[in-house]
Amino acid sequence: MLSQFKKVLAASALSLAIATAAHAADKHKVAFVPQLIGIPYFNAMEAGGNRAAKDLGVDFIYSGPVDTNPVDQLQIVQNLIDQGVEAISVSVLDASSIAPVVESAKAKGIKLFTSDSDAPDSGRAVYVAQATDEGLGTTIIDELVKRVGEDATIGIVSGEATASNLNAWIGFMQKEATGKYPKLKLLAPQFAGGTAERAAQISGDLMAANPDVKAIIAVASSTCPGVAQAIETAGKIGSVIGAGYCSPNTARSYLKSGAFGFTVLWDPEQLGYLTVWAGKQLIDGKSFEAENKVAGLEKPVTYDAAKGILLLGPPAVFTKDNVDKFNF
Amino acid sequence: MNAVRLIGDGVFSMNGREWSLLVACLLAIVIFSVASPHYATSGNAATVLRNSVELLLIGLGMTLLLAMGGIDVSIGIVMGLAAIAIGRVLGADGNPLLAIVVGPLVGALLGCVTAAVVVLGRVPAIVGTLGLLGVYRTAVFVLLGGQWLSGLPSSLTNLLATSVLGVPVPALAIAVAYLAVWLALRRTPYGLHLLAIGNSEEKARLSGIPVIKVRFITFVISGVLTGIAATFYVATYRNVEMTIGSTLALDAIAAVILGGTSILGGRCSLIGTVLGVLLLRILQNGLLLIGVPSLWQPVVTGVLIIGVLGFEAVCNGLPLGRFQRARA
Amino acid sequence: MKTLRNLQGPALTLALLCALWLIVIVGLLALKPSVYNLGTVTTILQFSTILALVGLGQGLVIMAGGAGIDLSVGGAVSLSAIVAMLCLKLGLPPVLLPAVCILAGAMLGALNGWLVNGLALLPFIATLGTFFVYSGAALAVTGGAAQAGVPPWLLLWGRGVVMGIPMPFLTLAIPCFALAGLVLLSTAWGRWIYAMGFNERSAKLVGIPVDRVRFILYVLSGALAGAAGLVSIAWLGSGRPNIGQNLELESLTAAMLGGIAITGGRGGVGGVFAAVLLLVTLKTGLLQLNINTVWQVGIVGALLVFVLLADRLSQRWRS
Repeated sequence: MLSQFKKVLAASALSLAIATAAHAADKHKVAFVPQLIGIPYFNAMEAGGNRAAKDLGVDFIYSGPVDTNPVDQLQIVQNLIDQGVEAISVSVLDASSIAPVVESAKAKGIKLFTSDSDAPDSGRAVYVAQATDEGLGTTIIDELVKRVGEDATIGIVSGEATASNLNAWIGFMQKEATGKYPKLKLLAPQFAGGTAERAAQISGDLMAANPDVKAIIAVASSTCPGVAQAIETAGKIGSVIGAGYCSPNTARSYLKSGAFGFTVLWDPEQLGYLTVWAGKQLIDGKSFEAENKVAGLEKPVTYDAAKGILLLGPPAVFTKDNVDKFNF
Repeated sequence: MNAVRLIGDGVFSMNGREWSLLVACLLAIVIFSVASPHYATSGNAATVLRNSVELLLIGLGMTLLLAMGGIDVSIGIVMGLAAIAIGRVLGADGNPLLAIVVGPLVGALLGCVTAAVVVLGRVPAIVGTLGLLGVYRTAVFVLLGGQWLSGLPSSLTNLLATSVLGVPVPALAIAVAYLAVWLALRRTPYGLHLLAIGNSEEKARLSGIPVIKVRFITFVISGVLTGIAATFYVATYRNVEMTIGSTLALDAIAAVILGGTSILGGRCSLIGTVLGVLLLRILQNGLLLIGVPSLWQPVVTGVLIIGVLGFEAVCNGLPLGRFQRARA
Repeated sequence: MKTLRNLQGPALTLALLCALWLIVIVGLLALKPSVYNLGTVTTILQFSTILALVGLGQGLVIMAGGAGIDLSVGGAVSLSAIVAMLCLKLGLPPVLLPAVCILAGAMLGALNGWLVNGLALLPFIATLGTFFVYSGAALAVTGGAAQAGVPPWLLLWGRGVVMGIPMPFLTLAIPCFALAGLVLLSTAWGRWIYAMGFNERSAKLVGIPVDRVRFILYVLSGALAGAAGLVSIAWLGSGRPNIGQNLELESLTAAMLGGIAITGGRGGVGGVFAAVLLLVTLKTGLLQLNINTVWQVGIVGALLVFVLLADRLSQRWRS
């Protein structure tokens, strides 16, 4: 039975090899692979991508893993390459999510680039950045210091310990704290995985362990509800403030209850738009200017040729006063 | 007389494993209190108890399933689906009473689905629920449509945060659930039948026990308890995210096994399950308080399982273990 | 002995799997003719390698009965990859990396075997414990950071393709399966595994060294997990502390889908091989059609339930 099965396999492999792929591509295709599907943040990017696809006349493919698993992400990228999608953008979980396929993409003339989360030195065509990692890390620390002072204790609750972009932000937070606010005490980051429940458990324990903690930073958007809930149930609204990189819709009720002081985020819809626009530019073989006017975006975007980073702009800070103006 | 016996005999009577778990809990509390000045506070105790509610409820149902020789690895996602239903009801009109009803209802319904596959379809429980785990996960994604349920009204939260006669509602709910399950297990024919099936399904069938009915009902009971857990989850976090419940099933199984319920069925301990959940939570909380990074928590869980059960196996001598395995 | 093997079941499952596989292929080709090329085969095999290796170990452990199961495989894959990369950092000669990786896996498997044999813990409990320990330790030791520094020659093997077949699949997965199939079908060891899975007590009575066979199978499952870890290192170019995430459930799915009875004594490695290819082909097909990935988990789950129900029905129909 086994040998029969292998024969079938060999036969179909052979016949597949003989045939050549026929591409009936009337429209250019641009794809975006998020770190995880089913979270509001990446959904907003998808919406922006769709808007750009309509404006620019390309097909937009949005496909991502259901778990934050680099092999699943790699498999999706590989299949997009096999399909002959001309420009593929990836919000990498880790550099290894694209490392094995960079060469084969190049050989096929496919533009592989990163968006939202970068894999430097991987040979990617460009990195479409929401803001620099450094800007994100320092903004949140600066904003917190404005609210809790320079000699406070601050806890950090992140999501998956393996997410390279989140770890990069934490690194810049620590750098900013030691460099600019020597009296500020940043606690070692704790990792809650993807669930709000674990984030709440860990935040509660963190506050118990450090009664002097003045603020908790929720690094992954999936940890925001948990951190906020822990502050609410501990009855520490007012004495501990939450902050993080959460979308206004997720954080709205916490901002209003006072559990959260502010959140820092860019508009992911605009980032999705920019990603598809960049893909189209790459397909057309156009290079990026130092400053690019993109029709569908509010502000011009800058390009750092040395690092290969296309920058959306500085992140926005949402507080209870302005959160109702946003819907994403 | 009967009532006196009911209280005196068994509700809280304990065997060796249960005593050792209790001692372990107390020992852990003493050690952590000495090691950390912030441990022995009422706030921290409340945090630990608060974080145990869902796992306690799900653990009670899992105890019944394991005692019967069954298992359900999809139970965390069942909680997720029930939470979605509760969230939708809350979001639609905010009536907390309706929301309280809908959780157990959906839980019971999904219990029926699981039972239909596992019991009526005669599929081994571990494999059948593994398959359903995938199906339920897709259902969670599809029902949420990529958007979290965020900022749910706090009417349910307020309702469940009240106290009845000075006892907080979550504690009351757990007490009632515990008593109900204990009564069913020790004071009704159902309980006898359940344990008989756990001992030997074949013999139970031959002696005229309605095996299919009893097994079916047990899955439904577990579903209802999970639905109640979902109610507390939604009340606490006011947020339903995509990854909801993904780690709960294995945690619950770990706690139940720790508590002394035999995974082969026929032997179970409700008080052991409660102590198992508490020991897990006390250790997770305490270790974080004395400065052990949260990433080590799964390792502690694993060492605890191997340590406790390994120790017992050594104490009981090897032949018993061999016999048990041969019977499987 | 031959009757013990109950070849009806595996043959039926294998036929069913092949039919399903053909349906998937034909359906895919009809819907999307452009997948009709060698690259698709390479992709499928590339993503099958790790699951195939782990699924083989899982299948053998379950087949030997005694409530055998290895929930720790995913953790063992992660931890052996991490241990090997950390050894490299501590000055291990790169030449030894593959050996150390597989050895680390074997030792993790040996711990499982000792818990099951020496302490007489139920396999489900023992490996649930080590699942938490292995997967947790891989993350905690590294703090979640990927471990870089894989020697280039290893990448050459991990990413190499010969005649459309990825090197790791050709040089590791196929030999392992061929060897396992050979051992199961034509050696005393194979008959022992079936016999003890079918009825452990009788197997003991006729003098089969049940404990020794079981211990070796757990070591083997660990070693195969170590080999899968090695493939991940050589392919991804770094040691990832969560690379084995979900593999325990996926390998269990593959083994069950492949017709191995959860109670042991029935099934074969050919079924596992076919099931792995079916699973990955299905995933690839859905991706090629740009169907939302959320349907993957559901379809695989439903497929598992369907195959189990079909198996049950066919048994009832025969008897």
